[in-house]
Amino acid sequence: MSLEILLIIAFGGAVLTYLMGKASDKARDSFAVIISLVLIAFVACLYGKSVEKTFYFGFFGLGLVLRLNMLSWFFAIAISSLGALCTIFSLSYMKGRERTDFYYLMMLVVNAAMLGIVLAGDLISFYIFWEIMSWSAFLLISYNRGPALAAGMKYIIMSVIGSVCFLVGMLSLYVSFDTLNISQIAPAISSASGGHILFILTAFGIAFGIKNAILPFHTWLPDAHSEAPAPFSAVLSGILIKMGTYGFLLVFYVIVGLKLFLGLGSGIFSYHSILCFLGAVTIIIPTFIAMMQTDAKRLLAWSTVGQAGYIILGIAFGTNLALAGGIFHFFNHALFKALLFLAVGAVEFRTGTRDLDSLGGLARKMPVVFIGALVGICALIGVPLTGGFVSKWLIYKTLILEGSGFLAFFALAGTWGTILYSYKLIHNVFLGQLLEKHKTIEKAPFSMQLPVVLLSVSILLFGILPGIPLKVINAIGTSFGFETLNVTLWGITSESGTLNTINIFSAFLVAAIIVWIVFRLGAKSVSVPQEDSYAAGAHTPVDKYHYTVEFYNPLYRMIKPFLRDVIDEFYYLIASSVRSLAGSVRRIYSGDVGYYVMYIILFLAFLIFVQLKWKPW
Amino acid sequence: MVTKVMQIILSPVLALIVGVFFLGLARKIMARIHWRYGPPLIQPVIDMIRLFYQKGVSHGRMFDLGIILSLAGSIVVVLFLPFGLIAPLSNSGGLLVILYIMLLAPLGMALSGGEGANPNISIGISRKLILSLGYEVPLLLVLLAVMTRYKTISIMEVVNAQQSTSWSIISFPLFLSGLSYFLILPAILGIRPFDVSSAPQEISSGPMAEYGGKYLALATIEHAFVMFISIALFVNLFLGGAANPIIFFVKMLVVFVLGLFIHAVFPRFRIEQAIKYLWKWPTLLAFLGLIMTLAIGS
Repeated sequence: MSLEILLIIAFGGAVLTYLMGKASDKARDSFAVIISLVLIAFVACLYGKSVEKTFYFGFFGLGLVLRLNMLSWFFAIAISSLGALCTIFSLSYMKGRERTDFYYLMMLVVNAAMLGIVLAGDLISFYIFWEIMSWSAFLLISYNRGPALAAGMKYIIMSVIGSVCFLVGMLSLYVSFDTLNISQIAPAISSASGGHILFILTAFGIAFGIKNAILPFHTWLPDAHSEAPAPFSAVLSGILIKMGTYGFLLVFYVIVGLKLFLGLGSGIFSYHSILCFLGAVTIIIPTFIAMMQTDAKRLLAWSTVGQAGYIILGIAFGTNLALAGGIFHFFNHALFKALLFLAVGAVEFRTGTRDLDSLGGLARKMPVVFIGALVGICALIGVPLTGGFVSKWLIYKTLILEGSGFLAFFALAGTWGTILYSYKLIHNVFLGQLLEKHKTIEKAPFSMQLPVVLLSVSILLFGILPGIPLKVINAIGTSFGFETLNVTLWGITSESGTLNTINIFSAFLVAAIIVWIVFRLGAKSVSVPQEDSYAAGAHTPVDKYHYTVEFYNPLYRMIKPFLRDVIDEFYYLIASSVRSLAGSVRRIYSGDVGYYVMYIILFLAFLIFVQLKWKPW
Repeated sequence: MVTKVMQIILSPVLALIVGVFFLGLARKIMARIHWRYGPPLIQPVIDMIRLFYQKGVSHGRMFDLGIILSLAGSIVVVLFLPFGLIAPLSNSGGLLVILYIMLLAPLGMALSGGEGANPNISIGISRKLILSLGYEVPLLLVLLAVMTRYKTISIMEVVNAQQSTSWSIISFPLFLSGLSYFLILPAILGIRPFDVSSAPQEISSGPMAEYGGKYLALATIEHAFVMFISIALFVNLFLGGAANPIIFFVKMLVVFVLGLFIHAVFPRFRIEQAIKYLWKWPTLLAFLGLIMTLAIGS
């Protein structure tokens, strides 16, 4: 059981799936699912192992290294599980579409490349897998053509800028330390000067910041997430952007190390405080933008930007509680955001639209998807008993106790904004009046319900028993040189405040049962169609009573002037000025020989003029 | 163990009694301010019992579940809040947990109301959520100031610290935060001038428009709990809690009656006006409170 076999299965499986698709669709579908399940089993078997293996392929004498530790295992299991669930979801979502072979190939290649990234033990292999991931993601984002092409283009341009920054950082490391093996750089880096470390961290910070979509590098994300096919949006938001998070963890805590990372700069002008501040801004602004969206997937995309802020805040703050919170929030976010994207995808699959203004009442028609979406938004808000609560609790607690009141305020206030947009999502799609044209739709197919159910169950499981993932996260934190956390199966014990989820759970369960009994004891209620009691039996016009358009209108009017995406406009300004500059440069090369002769003569005339006037030669 | 179980049973019951008493008292005091005689003090209890045996209308599964979720959430919050020194679960997560479980009540109501598919409900919920965003901004600043000042997230320790020194409301710089909390208290309680979401004359009580029978009874109980929770939180954080339930109750009563006077004489804000107010003076005070707390702490 070694790492290269895992990667060979992952990449080989993807190619084989493509080839099988040429013969039969059914065989391809089942093979894709089997491959992704095998990957989960394989990764699960690697739990707790620590391997480092070097392969010499003679690339400038640099070893290609694969390695496994707790950090990469944790990411690998998240990647393979989400990949499998999204592949299962794709079975019915992609049925009957064109170029499905290609779709499955790319989906599995993205997964394999992400596994490669987390298993890479040197920066060259990291970079190769990183590029494979970026380009195959580009092909999937623009799969739908039309506006998706523009979204994909925006993504790949920003991705390439990130890659260039990565290369710069990597070369700078190679020049000073003569190796790209992560475990060899780590001990050597303490000899580097502060300025050099700052330079490296900034280069890698831009590279990973673009992938992780922190402000001001977020502008590719809303377009890409909303235009991609739904199962891939789930992968994209759930796990692909988290490769940026992995990169941050790798560079901050594995390569540079805790002490150097926190010691860079002083006071509020230190590298990590600036990153914390960026994280806080990333929480607050996108949250408010998300409230104003009318496209369900675009709303979720902005919410992804906001939630990524929590992860960055947790990771950059640099205490053991915050780091645990940040990593745990990455894991929770992968689960609940994938769940929400899949739920919206199922709705889109059945109704053909994801416009929040033209849906409603689907809870009756798609009960399983509705419950999934409900669990998803609860975790997104951070309602207790979902995983999202525990991770946010960890982050808040450390921010408050370390005296960073304002960062805590940003993080907490973001939560209240989250309530507004997530309720809008659930209200406009699932609650309220069912539209006339949707009265005949069926519930979502089994292959869509299965991932939704599995994700909902795991969110609740990790919310009630957060000790399961926290044990792994604790091991990661310890390997970075942090103190161990006192983790139990149902929470965290410490002097400055204990969390006990099992108490909350049992209290809530008992309270709910008592209220339910009281509810049942009351007089029986009659079930009445929704329109009946509103209009008191009188005729009601069809489709008039679901008030969803501009749901938070009074608030929109107040905050709209402040929420233009200035950064996006700025990038577009740069893009358009580069284009016009290129246009004027092109005019010089007109292709007409006469012009070229004229340039030559003019240039000669200029030289002669210079010689006559000043006699420099 | 036995005392713990007793406390777990006792504290929601006490909270319910206090909350319902406040509902009755509110009507009586309001009536006297309006120069009326007013209904008897136990009128809310009579109403609830009557409603409980009346036939109600249901609009689906979520319509029922939402209200159960909401009420259960409020009961759990009560278990976390010290009432006097009765605080059965206060060491399971502290203020942050209280803050988050307090979400369940409006969320449950919103889910239940959403299933009702009544335009008045949608408008009411939209206003309620906007209003809560409005008052959460100063409220969070206030809570953060308190937690930073006492360097703990446990509400029990905040109470103990005040018992041994002085009340936060008369200590510098937390009196700013306390004042801010008091200014937003009517918004948290949803009483005038902040009753935009339940405005009976405009949108037929908003989220409660479709409730009848036992739904209305449960919604009233829920309202009583919310009343108890927001005032008890203020007493715990700023008036030093209390060593026994009676003193605690007296403190709550004083805060409640003061809030009621505001309720009785002010007309209703529009939602934009409410947000503008909430994000101006209370936020400014809370902001100053937090800054000074941070400055003193460091």
